[in-house]
Amino acid sequence: MLDQLGNGLLLGIIISVASVALSLLYGVTRIVNFAHGEIIALGAIMASFFSNLPTSRYIFLENTSPLGLSFELSLALSIMICGIFGALLELCVFRPLRRNDFGNIAVLVITIGISIFLRHLYLIFASSKPQDYPLDLQRRQQYFIFDLTPRDFKIIVYGILIMVIFGLFISFTSIGKQMRAVRDSTELANISGINSDRIILYTWILSSMLAGTAGIFQGMINDVRWNMGFLILLLVFAGTVLGGIGTSFGAMVGGFIIGIVVQVSVALPFMEGHAEAKNAIALAIMIFILLIRPQGIFGIKERIS
Amino acid sequence: MNKPVLECTGIAAGYVKGLNILNGVDLVLNSGEIVSIIGPNGAGKSTLLKAIVGIIKINAGRFYLNGSDKTNTPTYKIIHEGLGYVPQVNNVFPSLSLQENLEMGNRKKMNKKNFDDVYELFPILKERNNEKAGNLSGGQRQMLALGRALISKPEILLLDEPSAGLSPSAVDEVFESIEEINTSGVSILIVEQNARRSLEISNRGYVLDQGRNAYSGLGKELLNDEKVIELYLGKM
Ligand SMILES: Nc1ncnc2c1ncn2[C@@H]1O[C@H](COP(=O)(O)OP(=O)(O)O)[C@@H](O)[C@H]1O
Ligand SMILES: [Mg+2]
Repeated sequence: MLDQLGNGLLLGIIISVASVALSLLYGVTRIVNFAHGEIIALGAIMASFFSNLPTSRYIFLENTSPLGLSFELSLALSIMICGIFGALLELCVFRPLRRNDFGNIAVLVITIGISIFLRHLYLIFASSKPQDYPLDLQRRQQYFIFDLTPRDFKIIVYGILIMVIFGLFISFTSIGKQMRAVRDSTELANISGINSDRIILYTWILSSMLAGTAGIFQGMINDVRWNMGFLILLLVFAGTVLGGIGTSFGAMVGGFIIGIVVQVSVALPFMEGHAEAKNAIALAIMIFILLIRPQGIFGIKERIS
Repeated sequence: MNKPVLECTGIAAGYVKGLNILNGVDLVLNSGEIVSIIGPNGAGKSTLLKAIVGIIKINAGRFYLNGSDKTNTPTYKIIHEGLGYVPQVNNVFPSLSLQENLEMGNRKKMNKKNFDDVYELFPILKERNNEKAGNLSGGQRQMLALGRALISKPEILLLDEPSAGLSPSAVDEVFESIEEINTSGVSILIVEQNARRSLEISNRGYVLDQGRNAYSGLGKELLNDEKVIELYLGKM
């Protein structure tokens, strides 16, 4: 079980970053974004497109070679593209919908539609073949009690750093405070002189950049696939709901718990030979906790309704 | 003194398309005045304030600030024009601290003096600076909401039932604050169910009924007008 703890920590950090992003967007816009998984995948796929060598065996759009940029530059570009993509979603889709007072269910269905559409676009763009980043193989070593490669360790450190920075941003900066104000009440924010449309735009950008980062991490420890966001989305939702939907700190902890449980449950005796079913236990735990505490671990009751 | 800072002519507005709650409301607020809007429950008093600040769309009529047309301007821009608005309900950010609530009203000019002026008016806000606004009592919430609206030094203040649900001593405090704020040069438009109390401190008043102006006059006149007493104030 202990060997799985390191993997659990990794997945925990990744789900955690993605959950914080989903929860931030939900809190500020009240949109349950089913396309979140595809933004996660966008980060991973773009990073593969930018970083793999033109001579590699991966081909995009059936005849385009990857660009062979340095890995660091590829990460930066991919995360930026995710941010721009989030901004476009807000400006071209969700802001017009908001203007026309679309109902929550209609918006939800639209995010599902966007998710399916994008997923298949990725299938055309990146093919159905799993891809890897051009990174050298690394040997696992002991970090405290965890078995990790140096790259895994780096991902954990960066993941934690990202969340600390996010926490400071949302708590202490002017934009962060305005995001929390809009989360409490968009109308009161406007009345206070806040341009809530602008804050919602920033929220889309930030949430999408975090999602893309989580996707790149996932691509680094696993591989890059057209439907990777879809596969991870349920766990991200679980993490968000478990922590208490709409609370950043809750999503952070909830995502982390889900990630650890998923990995560690692989090592349970009765799971032997059923590793594909590893999500089941994490989701069962989520349902169990929500039965006792419907608002989630850190949620406040009134947020739910 | 008699320059209109805020003027509504023939305002029609509502919440759903094709169904106006307001059906042609005229109103003037002059510089330095306190003006009350009274009327029965459901008359459209809160709706009028929402139409002015742009929370709901104005379907007909015009709304002017200092003579320039601001009909259907986005809410945050109207606020930047020097208008403060304290809604009847949900008027503080519950998960933000008191300090942060005030900051939200004051982003443009972050100077300490603005905070000090609000703290002078409502010392309690300074004492509980770091607490979450959601923990405040009704009266304290009202003070925070007033502080949030005042901190950007508005020229005009719109208040929607500032004394609703408060204890008698808190009502006294709120009305004293309103007079104090007015003395400092802010023109105030106030909607009140506590009609006598608010007409007493008002220069003028409007009676709104079923989305229309029913009566208007000087505060003292309305207080003594037999029709208004019979219909809207009740016998003493
Ligand atoms: N958010 C809303 N949506 C639809 N109708 C509303 C809403 N708020 C108020 N109304 C209706 O508008 C009318 C006027 O309400 P309001 O302006 O709140 O009256 P009051 O004079 O008591 O402040 C009432 O008939 C009320 O039912
Ligand atoms: Mg009202």
